[in-house]
Parts: sequence; structure tokens; C-alpha cells
Amino acid sequence: MRDTLGRLLVELGERDKDLLVITADVGDSTRAIYFKEKYPDRYFNVGISEQDMVNFAGGLSIAGYKPVVVEFAMFLMRAWEQIRNSIARMNLDVKFIVTHSGYSDHADGSSHQALEDIALMRVLPNMKVIVPADPADIRRALPVVLEELKGPTYFRIGREYSPSITEGLDYQFKLGKGFVLRDGDDVAIMGAGVVLWDALKAAEELNKMGISAAVINLLSIKPIDEQLIEYYARKTGRIVTIEEHSIYGGIGSAVAEVVVKRYPVPMRFVGATTFGRSARSQRELLDYYGITWKSVVNQAMELMK
Amino acid sequence: MGNEGGRNDATPILTLEELNRLREIAENARKNVIKMLFYDQTLHVGSSLSSIEIVTLLMFKYLRFGRDPLNRDYFILSKGHAAPALYAVMAEKGFIPEDELWKIQDISSILQGHPEIFIPGVDMATGSLGQGLSFGIGIATGIKMRGGTGRVFVDMGDGEHDEGEVWEAITHAVTRKLDNLIAIVEVNNFQLDDSVDSVKPKGYLPKVYEAVGWAVFEADGHDFVSLSEALEEALKAKRPSAIFARTVRGKGFPPIENTRKQRSSPDDARKHLINA
Repeated sequence: MRDTLGRLLVELGERDKDLLVITADVGDSTRAIYFKEKYPDRYFNVGISEQDMVNFAGGLSIAGYKPVVVEFAMFLMRAWEQIRNSIARMNLDVKFIVTHSGYSDHADGSSHQALEDIALMRVLPNMKVIVPADPADIRRALPVVLEELKGPTYFRIGREYSPSITEGLDYQFKLGKGFVLRDGDDVAIMGAGVVLWDALKAAEELNKMGISAAVINLLSIKPIDEQLIEYYARKTGRIVTIEEHSIYGGIGSAVAEVVVKRYPVPMRFVGATTFGRSARSQRELLDYYGITWKSVVNQAMELMK
Repeated sequence: MGNEGGRNDATPILTLEELNRLREIAENARKNVIKMLFYDQTLHVGSSLSSIEIVTLLMFKYLRFGRDPLNRDYFILSKGHAAPALYAVMAEKGFIPEDELWKIQDISSILQGHPEIFIPGVDMATGSLGQGLSFGIGIATGIKMRGGTGRVFVDMGDGEHDEGEVWEAITHAVTRKLDNLIAIVEVNNFQLDDSVDSVKPKGYLPKVYEAVGWAVFEADGHDFVSLSEALEEALKAKRPSAIFARTVRGKGFPPIENTRKQRSSPDDARKHLINA
């Protein structure tokens, strides 16, 4: 995922000379470094100084540039108050692209695993939150985010682990729109990010048991596709959400807010409930914490009772 | 303590006429800040009175206003709680009507407890300490990249230097060689809970700035001549400059002058203004 990001930033930087990339000493790990190799004058490593980085980016936007902050999801949270009080409060055109989200930094352990960031960003006025599923989703969404969207935006990706989920599908990214990866009548599985692979696998397994499951890629978490969520709440009467993030305040919560307002149906939440730990792979951690297709199947079966 | 270049011409830094005019504006602004106590007793009057001359001098002599974002100057009140001083001077400047001052913090007023970007004349929304310098570095860097002539002035408090982001910012500014960035640090030796000295003494600050690579100057923060001399030198420096301006919290309002107290009663304010 991060390689796709690094290469795409270089392409977008070619098209838009006002695009600047700013990072806090994680250029290599995030692949922002590719941008530096091509456009050294438009690349800033401010050092290990996340708070300064955020306000620095805000100031650059005042001077007419389009700053893109590239940082680990975890360590951008250190500057949440700067994002809140400067960037979001002044509605500045600063884009935040975060890598290493969820358990994707599997080896480094809980200090590096961001499972709270969607909740923290979603709550901010003016902030938009985008969670692509895979490299194909990044290629669809990032050009729109950087070239068409105005104002603060949080774009969340992982690291290496990226099973193909949306490759070859022909939808276009649109802010506030979700996408149907698979239609179904009995239960709707909704989520965003790499765990949609588990959502699709769960739908296949449920199908074998005679249960027809829809899978929705929400992708635009804020604003969220209220119409699509309501449509599937009405159509299936049951929703299971899955996210590589805390179930408290995250994607499931965002879906629940829509569901209770527009068409209440029973829901179940698959996601994190506590801190992570070190492991040999991200997949291992998803399995360890039960953020898997099996959990989705079990929750869906429970809703079917 | 540098004196880069030095002044050797005989022209006064301010004409007597300019000086009298600045004093008149500052006195009006000072009275208006005190008068705000009639309408709201929660304002940070003490911190505001510490800033009056600095804000007046910048707004009336140094800042170049305009619509071109690259060829105008910026003023960031990083110590955002001194908003009453900023508003009072902006009223003198005609950016906001004087009548609006009496509505400060009222739900119907544009004047918020701390500066917001939607208030005419405000360049950065502040209120949370320690953030203005980083933002100023961003603006100053952008201006220089595009070859603009704009300069950025950031007014900070001494207590504010407790914040870690300030360290991130002062070490960042020098790496960008920002000769269009001037930080003014008000040294009034008070912060919210206590004196700066009793919380964490900061006498070392000028030396820290200097060691990091800033051009450092000192001034009397209530004296227009002293402040102007420092600003003229700072503007000539080929690197970011910091002016340590000695100020008095509550300056010119005896019930709170040079104390930790931020405010006094409307009665005190009335008595003071009648006698003044």
C-alpha cells in the first residue's frame, strides 16, 4: 500500500506544482521519500516534531500551497490538538495521509498500532475521513482527494499487507459514496480498509450456508453514504460491520449513527476492543484479535437467529 | 545578545510626531481594554495590557496590509488570551467598529474570547498556547519559496515557552533560514497559576534562542523607541529573529499591575478611567 502511495504522490506532484509533501522523519517508512527524490524543493522533513509539522503545514496553506502531511497514523495523533485547533478550526486545505494504520506495523507492537485514529478524526468539524481498501482504491481516491477536495482530509492506509479487494472493479471514488462489492438480501457486511477481504470471504462462506450477504465498501467514512446504508438496512434487516480499528467510535459506530436515525435494524460490530501487540504478520494479529471472516460469519449467524 | 549591523545614523527611529501618535493610540487601546471590564469580567486584562505597545507598534508602523498573500505581512498572536489587546488596537485601526468591543464574548459578537480566523485582521486562530510560531514558520517558508516580500511577526508569552511545540519550532525556523520571521517574546514573568520564575524559570531563553541560531535582541516592551530599535535590527538580520520584550502584566492599571491577577472589578475599572 505504501509503495502505491509513494509512486502516486510523485505522479500527482508532477501534475500540480503547488503540492508539497511534509513529514516528521518517516519519509523512508511512508515512501514519501520518492517525492523527495523527484522534487527535493517541495519536500520537508521537519524532524521528529509532529506538532510543529501540523502547524507548519497550516502556514504553508496560507501562503497558497497544497501541503500533504505524510505520517504514521499513530504519531499524527500526537498532534491531534494542533489538527483540531489550527487545521480543522480554520478549515485549512491540508491533507493528512497516514500509513501504518491498524495492525499493519505488526512487529513494533501496540505503541505503533493506530486503532483509535478514525474516531479521533471523525469527530472533528470540517474533517473528511477516507479509508481505501487496497492499492486500486488508493489509485481511485487519492487523485480526487488531492486535486478536487478542499479542506482538511484524513486518508488512512496500511503498510505491505494488501490482499486484492477492489482490483478490476470499475467504480469511481466519490466523496460520501460507498460501493457495493457484492449484493445480498439477508445481511449486509459493511466496512473499509484491508479487512474487506474478510468481509468478502465471510459472504462466500455464508452463501454456502444459504445466507445471502451483501458487502459494502464504505471508503468515505466522513461524510458517509447514508442513503446506501439505509438502503441495505431496509433490504437485509441486519448489519455486521468490520474494521481494523476500535469498535468504539469507529466505522461501526458511524454506521450505527445512520442506522438508528434512518432505519433501525440489529447490528453487530467486529473490530478491536483493546491495544495490539507484536507479531510476525498483520494477518496473525487480525486472527489473534478475531477481526476475521469467521467472526463476521458468527455474528451474521447470530443475527439470523 | 546581538546588535547586528548597529545604528549609526542620526535620524531618530521615530519622529516626535509618530511617537506621540503611537502613545495616543496605545493609551486609547489600554483604556478600552480596561473598559471592557464593564461588560465582561472574565477577560485576560493583565496579559492584554502587557501586549498593548507591541501590538500597537506592529499594527501602526510595521505591518503592511493587503490582499496579495505573498507581499503583505502577517501578525500572529500566539498568546491568544491577549485577544482584548488585539481587538482594541484593531478598533483603533478601523478593522472593527469600536462599539463591537463592548460586545466582546457576547453570543451575538464576532469578537471571541480568543482570536478566530473569521475576525477581520486576524491571521491565525489561536488560544491554545505554543502553536503560533510553527504556523508562522509555514507562512514565512511559503512566502520565501514564491519570492514574496511578506514578513511574519509572532507575539508569544514567556510562560508559553513551557510548551514542547515551541522547542520544535525554534529549532525548525533556523533550518529554513527565515529572515522574514520575527518572534516577540513578552517577558512579564507571569503565567496562569503563578510567576514564571516559580513554575519554571526562563532566564535562559535568550541564550537558548541564540545557541540554536536565532538573532536575539532585547527591548522594553512598553517603550516604542526601544521596541522600534529592536525591530529595525531584527528586520536587517539574515536569519530568524527573536526580540525579548520586557513587559509588565496589567501595565497601567494599578489594581492588577505586575501581579498574577488578570482582572479587577468593573468598579475599579470605572474609578481608574475617571481619574485617568
